[in-house]
Amino acid sequence: MTYLSFDTVTKRYGKTEVVQPFDLDVAEGELVAFLGPSGCGKTTLMRMVGGLEAPSSGCIMLRGEALTRPDRRRGMVFQSYSAFPWLTVAGNVAYGMRYRSDLSAAEKRDQVAHFLDLVGLTAFADEWPNRISGGMRQRVAIARTLAAGSDILLMDEPFGALDAQRREFLQLELRRIQIDEGKTVIFVTHDVEEAAFLADRVIVFTRRPARILAEVDVTARIGASRTLEMREGSGFFALRNELLHHVRSTASQEEDAV
Amino acid sequence: MPGQKAIIGTASTLALLLVWELVSRSGMVQDKFLPAPSTVLYTLGSMIYGRDLLYHAGISTLRVWSAFLMAAAMAVPIGILVGSFRPVGAALEPIVDFIRYLPVPALVPLSIIWFGVGEGTKIFLLWLGTFFQLVLLVADDVRRVPVEYHEAAMTVGAPGWRRLTDVSLPAMLPTLVDNMRITLGWCWTYLIIAEIVAANSGLGFVIWQARRFFQTPEVMAGVVTIGIIGLATDQLARALHRRWFGYLTR
Repeated sequence: MTYLSFDTVTKRYGKTEVVQPFDLDVAEGELVAFLGPSGCGKTTLMRMVGGLEAPSSGCIMLRGEALTRPDRRRGMVFQSYSAFPWLTVAGNVAYGMRYRSDLSAAEKRDQVAHFLDLVGLTAFADEWPNRISGGMRQRVAIARTLAAGSDILLMDEPFGALDAQRREFLQLELRRIQIDEGKTVIFVTHDVEEAAFLADRVIVFTRRPARILAEVDVTARIGASRTLEMREGSGFFALRNELLHHVRSTASQEEDAV
Repeated sequence: MPGQKAIIGTASTLALLLVWELVSRSGMVQDKFLPAPSTVLYTLGSMIYGRDLLYHAGISTLRVWSAFLMAAAMAVPIGILVGSFRPVGAALEPIVDFIRYLPVPALVPLSIIWFGVGEGTKIFLLWLGTFFQLVLLVADDVRRVPVEYHEAAMTVGAPGWRRLTDVSLPAMLPTLVDNMRITLGWCWTYLIIAEIVAANSGLGFVIWQARRFFQTPEVMAGVVTIGIIGLATDQLARALHRRWFGYLTR
């Protein structure tokens, strides 16, 4: 049985069609990047997986069960800063585990320390979110979602606000967590390089209403393991150019429309 | 910088008092209408012994706080429900909105018919003036909690009712405390009305008694006492706000 499947999912807001009938199967443990122009409807698709919005027609199934409401199996990292200002950095990370009964208090403390270390915020554990930078606040939200221990991670341009170095580090870490812990990830981005480097498969979207323009199997091309050295290799380069080409064609659609 | 603010505030207040003192002393206005601040201050001091001013101030403060706490204890949970659940809002908001627009003094006769001229009437009028306003303020505060906070909570597995206590309440608390501070100020307005109409104690009663005998310095001393209590309460509330919600400052 397919793990996660979109079955002719559509979405419209009033008369505006946001997503055209959309079909996609995602395997367990796969990282799929949604690549497309801003406002194309890729975020809407991801929010529907999270149960935060309902499809206008069709359905999204997890192991054959239709997804309707949000729960802990599908964790979400939002594009905007969603760290809670009334909790410290460590408190925010711990909040990700508040509704988990499978961990003891001591295990939760260990997990907080672990994820703080992972996102490089150990030194800021007792700081308030309003007193740290935007990029750091985003890392708090990422750690909180990871702490929740979801099977599926839904990430909406999570690294957009980070500096290049931190961004590269977290890309590698996300890839490691995905493979080591068998997480399934849907990663929304408009950064071609990021999509090519992170994903097992890249879905390139058209402009709104969202439709699949191209599908590129990255792992078949460059393998499942990713290293920084690969970024400079010719295989990666060709892949990146191919994706760039697809993305450019969505831009020319726009020119045609004008 | 806060030090500088305090200095400017004190200086401007002293300047105003000085002008007032000079105007009164110069004889441009009759003492009967505008006694000098020094006279008011002297009267205030003598009223503490001669007129049991502190007793009346205490009674008034007690009335304000008991009515306010009652109103707040009811308005906060109801407001949270109104703001969180659309059907509750749809059911209650028209009623609340209607009563909110009724001027409290217009309800004084009705209140006296219902509760007589005892403490009941005063507490009821104060409650009336604050409860309905506060319900709407609280409901708005709940609605202003960013939707991302709720969505983040939902995707880490928070059940609906836990989001009320774990997200809505802490997120809105700073504005809630601010709104309560402002509403407490309104309580004093209604209190004076209630004490003028139906009381034999309290600052409103003292002021009204003094007016009957044209004791302008006593009238003003009563008013100043209310001002001092208001100022002290407000400053205290602000200090607590800074202390509790320090995490908001960058």
